[in-house]
This record gives sequence, C-alpha cells and structure tokens, in this order.
Amino acid sequence: MIRRASITVAVILFGLVFASLAANHVGHQSLPPLAKRYVELVPQDLGAPNVITGILLTYRAFDTLGEVAVLFMVAAGVGLVLKTRKRRSKKSPETQPRQASEIVQTGAQILVPLIAIFAAYIIMNGHLSAGGGFQGGAVIASSVLLLLLADPQQRLDLDFLSSTESIAGVLFVLVGVAGLILADGFLDNRVLPLGEFGAFFSAGAIPLLSVLLGVKVGCELSVIIDRFRA
Amino acid sequence: MISTVVLATGLALILIGLWGMLTHRNILRIIISFSLIGTGTHIVIVAIGYVANGTAPIIDRALSVADAPSRAVDPIPSALVVTAIVIGLAVTAVMLAYAIRLYDSKKTLSIDAFTESKW
Amino acid sequence: MAEVIGSILILLGALFHFSAGLGMLRMPDAYTRMQAGTKASTLGNTLILAGLAFYHPGWTLKLIILIYFVLMTNPVSSHVLARAAYRIRIPMARETTVDALRDARKPWRGSA
Repeated sequence: MIRRASITVAVILFGLVFASLAANHVGHQSLPPLAKRYVELVPQDLGAPNVITGILLTYRAFDTLGEVAVLFMVAAGVGLVLKTRKRRSKKSPETQPRQASEIVQTGAQILVPLIAIFAAYIIMNGHLSAGGGFQGGAVIASSVLLLLLADPQQRLDLDFLSSTESIAGVLFVLVGVAGLILADGFLDNRVLPLGEFGAFFSAGAIPLLSVLLGVKVGCELSVIIDRFRA
Repeated sequence: MISTVVLATGLALILIGLWGMLTHRNILRIIISFSLIGTGTHIVIVAIGYVANGTAPIIDRALSVADAPSRAVDPIPSALVVTAIVIGLAVTAVMLAYAIRLYDSKKTLSIDAFTESKW
Repeated sequence: MAEVIGSILILLGALFHFSAGLGMLRMPDAYTRMQAGTKASTLGNTLILAGLAFYHPGWTLKLIILIYFVLMTNPVSSHVLARAAYRIRIPMARETTVDALRDARKPWRGSA
C-alpha cells in the first residue's frame, strides 16, 4: 500500500517535470554554430558525404575508440558471469537441445546469406549514406544468432572470433597512429587519398575504419550471444 | 511543432518505463522497462537536435553541399545516439546475464525472493 | 489518383497494426498472443509498403524486395518463439481443445 502510493507520487512528480520540459521546448530555427562548422567542414576537408560518419570516425573518433573498449569490457564481463554455470547438468528432455524444426532450417538457409550481404552493404556504405560500422556489426551478429537457432549443435569457433576481434582492434589503433605520423593527428582520415566526392573508394581512411569497426563489433556481439546458450 | 511532439513521445516512453520498473516483480519485465527508458532517452536526444524544415545531414541528390549549412538537421545528437544504441544493447546483455545467474540460485524470477540486501 | 489508392492502403496497414496491438493485449494466453502479433503486423507492414509504392513508383522494386524480406523473417521468428514456448510447457488457455503438435508427435497406435 505504501509502496504503491509512493510509486504513484514519484511517477506523477516526474511527469510534471517532463511536462514542463516539453511545454517550454522551443525548437531551433537554424543550426547552432558548432553544428554548422561540422556540416561545412566534413564534405570539404574529409570528402565524406555522410556528415555523421565523418564526425564519428574523424572528429570524435576518440569517443568511438572508447565505445569499442566498453563493448570489449562487456563481452569479457558477460563471459565471466556466465562461465561458471553447470553446463547441461540434468539430462531431462527439456535441457537437451534437439534439432530445430524444418521451417527454421530452411528459412536460415535462405536468410543467412541475405543478411550477411546486407550487413556488408551497410558497412561499406557508411561514408556515402546512412550506415556505418556499428550498425553493420549488429546486423552480422543477428545473422550469427539465426545460424545458432537453426542448428543448436553448432559449435562456434570462439578462438577464431576472439583473435579476429583483437586483430581488428589493433589495426584500428594502428591506422590511428599512422594518422599521427602521416597526417594531422590521431585517427585523421587523410592518410589515404581523399578521392572523388561520393565515389565508393573515397573519404580517405573512413571506409577502412568502418570495415574494421564492423568486423570488431560483429565478432564481439556474436561472442556475447554464444555465451547465452545453455 | 514536430520536435515538440517527438520530444513528448520520448518523455512519455521514459515515464512508462519508469513506472514499469518500479511496479513489476518479475525480473525480465524490469529489464524490459530499463530498455524502454533507454529507447525513450534516445528519442529525446534526437528530438532536441531538430531544425525547423530540416532534412537529414547526408549530402546526396536531395541536399547539395552549398545548401547543407542552412537546411540540415543537427548531426551531433544523431552521432551520440548511434553510440548510445550499441551501448544500450551491451548493458541489456549484462542485465540478462545477471538474471540468468539469479534464476540459477533461487529457481524463481520474482525479485521478492532476494532479500539479502534488505535491512 | 494513385495517391488516393496509396493513402487507402497505408490507412488499412495502420488499422491492422492497431489490431495487432489490441490482440496482444486482449488474448488469453501466450500462443494466441504470438499469433495475433505476428499475422496482423506482417500484413500491416506489407500493406504500408505497398501503399508507399503508389506514392513513389520509382521505388517499386526495392519495396517488393523489402516485402519479401518481411514475409520471410516475421513468420520464422514467431515460429521459433512458439516452439520454444511449447517446449518449456507454457500452459494453454482453458478453451483450447486440440493440441495438434502433441497428436503429431505421438506414435500411431491404431490398426491399419
């Protein structure tokens, strides 16, 4: 009783605060000065049509590196928490994985290649249109999930995934250090030629960084998903 | 006007998630409410960056290089939200791992069964 | 004229989505809820994408590929969820009279 009353009071108070926030909100009429500088600078200096990917992989690339580190810590943490479960201790019919039904197997045969191609398309299009490394990595992990659902006996090669992920991370930092040596700063994308605006191989090192980021995020999320199997 | 509607939707989602987190007793429903709060926050952040009559900050046939500083939407909140979505996924994975271990120890998913931290 | 047809299709799609949400709230047990959610929302998606094809005729091929993708993935995922729910023995609603999966799995003990 006390609990319900206090929950209602708390939610109503938060509701009042949010209502005052929404009522006093006046939208922008034009871009703020920092955003205007970014929107002007990214096509001109970096040669990337997608302003958001240009910001994420060059001007704020250090934040991206920090987020990659956070994902790595989460993968390690989930592995630590779930590692010491007794694996298949009871042999009752509920906990033994059987073969998946035929619908899922057939669907997976058609869908996994489609999803993988779509993920590669999203990653490679990061600098031209909406997309990028993180989004493509998440889609790769969903195709791995479908593969695991279709064949519960499948053993993912965790050593290969872990080493691929580490190598991709190391290459990411090495490209950044190359930016220090050959261009203006850490993770500057002008180490590779800028190319023609809007072409596939353009915007310097941004496609390369997108691919490395996509591979790393995809492997990490696949390892996390694999840990959740019984 | 559009940004106020989207902002109100995001704030309403945060409120619903908050109510759900405080009311339910099942651990999985609490995790879903956390995820709702996260989604609501992302919507609020993106709605703050809207410029009146603006379009996406991607330069293609619809938006030329010369038009971009006057017609594009603020790209910085969108960049922050791209990062935040992936982190939200990772946090949900950690919460679900904890839920699995809690279930292993007491064989129930109700949060009332775990009273070791209570006074 | 094409815009009117497109608008009617999009409105129908939105109605089906609404009925999917309503069904998920009102249905008695987990299996009927999954059925309501998947069927109605897949059809709603298909109608909205088809209505969009009338607004932008240049996008028709891409929208057909999208509709194909939605039709492939939604039912498969709902099937996996329902099979998993059956396996951990989530109880069915009281009004259920036929359990076709249990009958299909039992070995047949009749004559002839």
